[in-house]
Amino acid sequence: MTEAAAPPPRPLWRRLLGFNLLTAVLLGIGGWYLGWFGAHAIGAESLEYFEDTDYNELSVYLAYLGGVIGFLVGLGFLNYPIARLRGYPPSLREKETHGWTRYFSLCTDHKVVGIQYLWGIGLFFFIGGLNAMLIRTEQLSPHSQSFPMGTYLTLVGMHGTMMMGMMTSGILGPFANYLVPIMIGARRMAFPRIEALTFWLLMAAGAILTTTIFFGGFPTGWTGYAPLQTQANPGMDNYILFFALVGVSMTLLGLNMIATILTMRAPGLTWTRLPIFVWGVLSTAVLMVLAAPVLIAVLSMGALDRTAQTSFFNAAAGGSSYLYQNLFWVFGHPEVYILALPGFAIVLELLPVFARKPLWGYRLAVAGLLGVSLLSWFVWQHHLFVSGMNGDLRPFYMLSTELISIPTGFTFLCGMMTLWRGRISFTVPMLFCLAWFFNFLIGGLSGVFLSDTPSDVTTHGSFFSMAHFHYTIMGGLVFTFFAAIYYWVPKMTGWELHEGLAKIHFWTMFIFFNSTFAPLLAAGFLGQARRAPVYTGNLKFLNDWVSISAFLLGISMLIFLFNLVWSLAFVKQPAEANPWGSRSIEFQLPSPVPVHNFDRIPVFSNDPYGYGEGPAPSYVVPAGAPAGRE
Amino acid sequence: MAAEPLADEGTSYAVVEQEPPEILGRNLISASYLLAGATAFFFIAFVFAYFYLRSLNNAGMWKPHGVDASIGWGTAVVACYALSALLVRFSLGERRALRRSQWRLKGLAALLFGVVGLVLQVIDWTQESFGPADGGFASVYFGWTAFLFLFVLCTLLWLEMSVAMSFRYRKTDGPPPAGHASGDPHRRAPDISDPLSLIRAELVGLSFYWTFLAGIAVVSWVILYLI
Repeated sequence: MTEAAAPPPRPLWRRLLGFNLLTAVLLGIGGWYLGWFGAHAIGAESLEYFEDTDYNELSVYLAYLGGVIGFLVGLGFLNYPIARLRGYPPSLREKETHGWTRYFSLCTDHKVVGIQYLWGIGLFFFIGGLNAMLIRTEQLSPHSQSFPMGTYLTLVGMHGTMMMGMMTSGILGPFANYLVPIMIGARRMAFPRIEALTFWLLMAAGAILTTTIFFGGFPTGWTGYAPLQTQANPGMDNYILFFALVGVSMTLLGLNMIATILTMRAPGLTWTRLPIFVWGVLSTAVLMVLAAPVLIAVLSMGALDRTAQTSFFNAAAGGSSYLYQNLFWVFGHPEVYILALPGFAIVLELLPVFARKPLWGYRLAVAGLLGVSLLSWFVWQHHLFVSGMNGDLRPFYMLSTELISIPTGFTFLCGMMTLWRGRISFTVPMLFCLAWFFNFLIGGLSGVFLSDTPSDVTTHGSFFSMAHFHYTIMGGLVFTFFAAIYYWVPKMTGWELHEGLAKIHFWTMFIFFNSTFAPLLAAGFLGQARRAPVYTGNLKFLNDWVSISAFLLGISMLIFLFNLVWSLAFVKQPAEANPWGSRSIEFQLPSPVPVHNFDRIPVFSNDPYGYGEGPAPSYVVPAGAPAGRE
Repeated sequence: MAAEPLADEGTSYAVVEQEPPEILGRNLISASYLLAGATAFFFIAFVFAYFYLRSLNNAGMWKPHGVDASIGWGTAVVACYALSALLVRFSLGERRALRRSQWRLKGLAALLFGVVGLVLQVIDWTQESFGPADGGFASVYFGWTAFLFLFVLCTLLWLEMSVAMSFRYRKTDGPPPAGHASGDPHRRAPDISDPLSLIRAELVGLSFYWTFLAGIAVVSWVILYLI
C-alpha cells in the first residue's frame, strides 16, 4: 500500500482565509445584507406586483437566501459545481485528511459528517431544551407573569419547531451517516458532497430559526397554521425558511441513504443479512424522500402568500386555510414516524447485543418497520378531526390510525421475545432501550385516545395531546438517541464515556421525564390548553410539580453534557475496539475507524446477530482480495 | 481461506484512489429514480391545491372573469421542454452507439430548446392578463409554473455539465490529465478511474429524469391550460 504525500504545512492566516466555517459565516453575513438591501433598493420597487407587499417580508426572504448562499460559498460548496459546469470530470472526496479543521469545513468523509451532525444537532437540541425551561418557568403561575404573550408563543413555537425540525435528522444525521456505509461494507456514501451539504443546510436553518426573535417571533407553534401564518409578523418568514431548508436537507439525506443502501452493499450482504438498523434507516429514508417535498411545497405556497400576494390560504381571495392543514399533515404525520422509526431500529439493533441472543423474528421486525412506513401515509386526517372535516371520512382515518399499532406491535413483540430468556446485561445503552419500551407504551396507549374521534374531540388541543407526543417522541426518539450515543460514541471518538455519570444521567432522565409528562396527561384531561400561558387555579399544583420535574430533567441533561465534555476533552480514556462484545462489523474495526473504513471490501456470510453461535465474526476478507470492488 | 484484518489504523488515501466508475454510475442512475419520486410528491401538492381550491371556489374567487392562462404560450413552453427531453433521449442512443460528435450535437440542441422554453415561460408570465393576486387559480398557476421553471433550470445545468465535459475532452482517449478533478489537492491520483466514462451513466439518469420532468410539464399543461 502506498502512502499519500503529507500535505505541506500552511500558515495560520492561509488556513483561516480558506473555505471554512469562519469564511462561511463572514460571507453569510455579507450575503444577508446584500439580499436585504437588494430587496429594498431594486426588487420591491421595480415590480408592480409587489406594490402591496410589506417590503420587510420580501427583504427577510432575500436576505436569508443571500445569507445561505454566502454561507455555502464560504464553505466551498460552489467550487465543485462550477468546475463541473466548466467541463471538469466528477470526483468524490474533499478534505478527508485535514486534521481537526475538517470538522469546520466541507468534508466528504462520512464519519466526519456524522460527528459534525452529533455536535450540531446537539447544539440546537440544547437551545430547544432551554426554550422548554423558559416555558415551564412561565407555567409556574396560572397567570401570565414572566413573558409577554407574544414572547411566550414564540418560545413555544421555537421549542417545537427546533425539536421537530432538527431531530428529524437526530438519528440519521449522526448515526446513519457514520454507520450505514460501514455496516454495508462500503467506504463512502453514494454522494459524499450531498451528505456534507445536508449537514450545513441544517446548521444554516437552525441559525435562521434562532434569529426569528429579531423579527418579532411567530405565534403559530410548530405547525405554522394559516391564516395566522399569513397574518403574522416577519418572524414567521424565519419559520418558513427554516422548515423549507430542513425539508431540502431531509430529502437529500433520505435520497443519499437509499441510493447508498441500494447500490453499495458489499458482496454477500443480501437483504436478509442487512442489519436491522439499516432497515430502519431505509424505511425512514423512504418517508423522508417522499414526505419532505410536500412540506417544501406547502411552505413555498405560504411564502408566496406572504410576498407575491397569492391567495393559497386566504379564503376571501379564493384560497383555503384547510389546504394548508391538509398538505402540512400529509408531511406531518409521516414526519412523526421519521422521528420514531430510527428509534425502533436502534432498540432492535442493541437488544441482541445485551441479551446475547439472536434478534427474534428478524423478518417480522422488518415487516413492522416497513408496515409503519407504509401506513403512515393514510392517517394524516386524524389531525383534522375537529377542524370541520367531512364526518364520513372520520371512521376511515380512525381505523387507519389504529391499524398502525399492528406493525408497531411487531417491533414490541420482536424486542420482548429477544429479551425472553436472554442473558441481559444492564449497561447504559440497554437501560435506555428498556426505558423505550415503557415510555413508548404509554405514548402508544395515550395515542389511542387521540385516534378515536369521540375522545379526540375532548382532548384535541390540550396538554393531553402534548404529553402524548412527548411520550412518543422524547420517550421514543430521544431515549434511543442517548442509547445510540452511549453505545456508538466510544467507537466514533475512540474514547470512553464515564459509566457512573452515564447511569446517573439515565436514572434522573427516566424518573424526571415521567414525572414531567405523566401529570400533563392529567392536566390535559382536566382541560388545560396547549400554547396558552394561563390556566385555572386548580391546576397550579400539577403545573408546579411538572415545572420542578422539568427543571430536574434539564439538570439530568447537564449531567450528560458534563460527562461528554469531561470524558472526551479531559479524561480521554481510550475505548476498546469492541467494548460490548458486539458481532456487528463496525466493532470489528479499530477505534476510531480509519479514514477509508476497510483496507479491502469485506465479504458477508451471515447477519450480525449470531450470538451464541460461535465466536467468529460473520464476515471475512479473503487474503489478497482486490482493494476495489471489481 | 486466510482472513486479513478488516482495516489497519493507518489506512491511507492510496487505498481508494481509482475507484471503478461503475459504482458512481449505479449511484447516479438510482438517484435519478429517487429524485423523480421526490419531484412527483412536490408537484402532487400543487395538483392537490388545484383541485381542492377549484372544488371549494371560496368567495367565487377560484377563477374570476378574465383569469385564463394563455394556451399559446403554455403550449410553446411545454413543447420546448418536451423536445429538449426527447433530444436527450436520442443523444443517449448516440452515446451508446459511440457516435460522440452526434451526441454532443443533440445534447447542445437539447440545451438550447430547454433554455428557449425557460425564456418563453418568462415572457408568458409578463403577457398574462392576470397577476398572482387574482384568486385561487392564479395562485396555483404562478406557483406551479415558477417551481417547474426552477426544476427545469437545475436539470439543464446538469445537462450542461455532461455536454461541457464531453466537449472539453473530445480529443482525449484515455483518462483526463492529473489534477483535472476538483477536490482534495493532496490526493495523488483521481479518486475515480476513467471518470470520463461516467458521461454515459449521467446521461441514463438525466434522460430518465428530464423525461419525467417533461411529463410533469405536460400534466401541468393539461391542468393549467386545457381544463
